[in-house]
Amino acid sequence: MTESLRVTVDRQDGFAIVYTEGYINNQGGEEIARVAYQLIDEGRKILLLNLNGTKIVNSIGISILIEIIEKMIEIDGKLGFCSLTPTIAKTFEIMGLSQYAQIFPDETLAIAGLRPSA
Amino acid sequence: MTALSREDWEDLLVLSQTETAARPLVARLLAHWCQAHRAEAAALYIDRGNLLEHECTHGDRGFPEVYDPASPNPEFARGLAMVRLPAGALLYAPGDVPLADASTLLISEAAKALRLQRQLKEQRFQANYRGVELEALYDVGLKVAGTLDLEQLSEEILLHAVMLLDARRGALYLLGPEGYRLQRTFGGEAEEAFEADDSTLARFVAGGEAPAALLPGARHLLGVGIEIEGSPRGLIAVGDKESRRGVGPFRAADRRSLGLFANQAAIALENARLHLQALEKERLEREMSLAAEIQRQILPKGSPDVPGYEIAGWNRPAAQVGGDYYGFLDAGAGRFGLALGDVSGKGMPAALLVSTLHSALRLLAERDGVGIGFLERLNTHLADSSTANKFVTLFFAQLHPETGELDYLNAGHNPALLLRRDGHLDELGSGGVPLGLIRAARFESQRTDLSPGDLLCLYSDGITEACAPDDEEFGMERLGAILTSYRDMPLPELIEAIDGAVTAFAQGHPQADDQTVVLVRRVG
Repeated sequence: MTESLRVTVDRQDGFAIVYTEGYINNQGGEEIARVAYQLIDEGRKILLLNLNGTKIVNSIGISILIEIIEKMIEIDGKLGFCSLTPTIAKTFEIMGLSQYAQIFPDETLAIAGLRPSA
Repeated sequence: MTALSREDWEDLLVLSQTETAARPLVARLLAHWCQAHRAEAAALYIDRGNLLEHECTHGDRGFPEVYDPASPNPEFARGLAMVRLPAGALLYAPGDVPLADASTLLISEAAKALRLQRQLKEQRFQANYRGVELEALYDVGLKVAGTLDLEQLSEEILLHAVMLLDARRGALYLLGPEGYRLQRTFGGEAEEAFEADDSTLARFVAGGEAPAALLPGARHLLGVGIEIEGSPRGLIAVGDKESRRGVGPFRAADRRSLGLFANQAAIALENARLHLQALEKERLEREMSLAAEIQRQILPKGSPDVPGYEIAGWNRPAAQVGGDYYGFLDAGAGRFGLALGDVSGKGMPAALLVSTLHSALRLLAERDGVGIGFLERLNTHLADSSTANKFVTLFFAQLHPETGELDYLNAGHNPALLLRRDGHLDELGSGGVPLGLIRAARFESQRTDLSPGDLLCLYSDGITEACAPDDEEFGMERLGAILTSYRDMPLPELIEAIDGAVTAFAQGHPQADDQTVVLVRRVG
C-alpha cells in the first residue's frame, strides 16, 4: 500500500488524463487539485481522472474532488472519472458527484464519452 | 461607476441557492466596490470558525486562501486593510476609508448568503456522508458473510475504518497464542507485535495514551479492541484524523464508529477462524482415518493356522485410532510368536508408536529370534524412537507348538491368564518395566507350558479396567469367571461373550481405553 498519492498525467489533444495511485485523502486530494488546476491554467477544459490505482477516498478527498468539479463547471469544462472500485463508485453516487461529473467503467469508454467530437 | 444589472440584483436575492452563479456575481460586486472606493484589489472572505476563508478576488493582487484575523500573516497583511462583515470580511488594498455605503452593504449581504450557502452545502455533504458510512458498514457486513479469506477480510475492514474515520493511517492486530500480531497496516509502518498482557495496549484500548511504537510518527491515535463475548481477539487502531487544515485528534463519535467496525471485524474474524478450524479438523480427521486404515492393516486379518491350537484375536479402539496392538508372527525354528501391547496415550501419537512397535517386533524377532536380550533390544529401540513419557506395556510369548512350551516376556503388562484343564487359573505376571521408559532396563523371560485343553488369554487393561457408572472396574476376576464358564466355546464366540459381559457391565458408560483380547487354546 502506498503512503501518499502518486499522480501522473497524460496530456492528449484537447484533454488530459490524470492517473492516481494511492489514498485520496487531504494530501492526495490537494495533489490532484494542484495538477487539475495546472491543466486548467494550460487551457484544458476536459479532464479524466482514472482512479484505477486508488482503493479508498476519504471525506476530505471527496470534498476536494467536489471543488475540482465546481471549478470545471465554472469554466464550462467537463470532468470524468473512470475505473472506480465498487466502493468508490457507490461513494461518488451517494455524495452526488455523479450528478456533476460523468463516471465511466473504463478509460476507453471515458475517452469516447468525453472527447470534444463526441 | 458600473451599475449592477437587473440580473445581478435578481441573482443577489437568491444567492444562497445558486451555487454556480455565486462567484461571478460576487466578482462583479467586488469590482463595483473597488470602483466605488478607489481600491486596487479586494477579496471577500467568509467566516469558518475562527478563520476566514477566501471566496472571491477582484484585482491583480494575490490573497491567502485562509486568513486568521487573530494572527494575520505579515506577508499578506502588508498594505492590506480589512472591513469586518457580519458573515466574513473584506480585505482590500488601500483606497478610501470604506463607509457603510450601499456597495459595502451589498457585499455584506452577499457574504451572509454565501455563508448560508456554505453551511447548507456542508450539511448536505455531512448528511450524504452518513449514507456513505452506513453503506460501508453494510458492505463490510456483506463481505463478512461472503468471504472467509482472513487476508481479504482484514484489508476490507482496515481500509473502510481508515476511510470513514478520515484517518491517515491504520493497523489491524490479531491476538494469537504469542500475543498481538500485526495482520494489516495502512499508510505507514506499525509495531509488529505486542505481548498479550501489554498494559500500555490495554490502557490505550480503554481510551488512554497509545504505546509509542504502535504507529510510529502518528500524533493522534484511536484504538478499540476486537472482542467475542468479552474475550479479546484483536485490535484496530487508526492514526491522525484529517481535516482540510492538517491532522488532529479523533472525536468521541469516531470511537463509536470504530467500535462498529471492531464488532464487524470480530464476527468476520471469528467466522474465518472457525472456518480454518473446521478445515484443520477435517484434515486431522482425514489423517486419523488414514492412520486407522494403516492400523487395520497392521493388526492380523484372521487367525493363524498352528496345528494343535486354536487362536483368535480381537481389538476395539476407543478412538478412531488406538494404542493397543496385537500380532502373530513366525519366530523361526518352528516357533510361533504372539504379542499384545498397550501404548501410553491415545490418538495419532499412540498410533505411530504402535506402528513402531509392530515393525520393531517383526524385524527383531525375525533377525535374532526371541532369545535372551530380545526385550532389551526392543526396549532400546523404542526408547530411542519415541518421545519422553511414551512407553509400551507388552506381553510377548513364544510357543513351541509341538511341546507346548511357552516362553514369555511381560514388560509391565497385565498378567495373562492361563486357565488349566483342571480349572486352575494361573497368572503370567510381569518381568520388567514397560518398554521405552528406561533405556538400560533388564527383562526376565519365564517359561510355562500349554497342555491339551489349556486356554491362554492375553488382554489389555481396556477389558479389566472397563468402568461401570459407579466407577467399579470389570476386573480380572470377572474375566477369569467368563473364561471358566465358557472355556469350551469356540474362540470367536468366547471373545463375543467377553465383549458382551464387559459391555453389559459398563451399562453404556463411555470407555476411554482400547479393548483387546487374544485367546490361544491347545486342542491336541
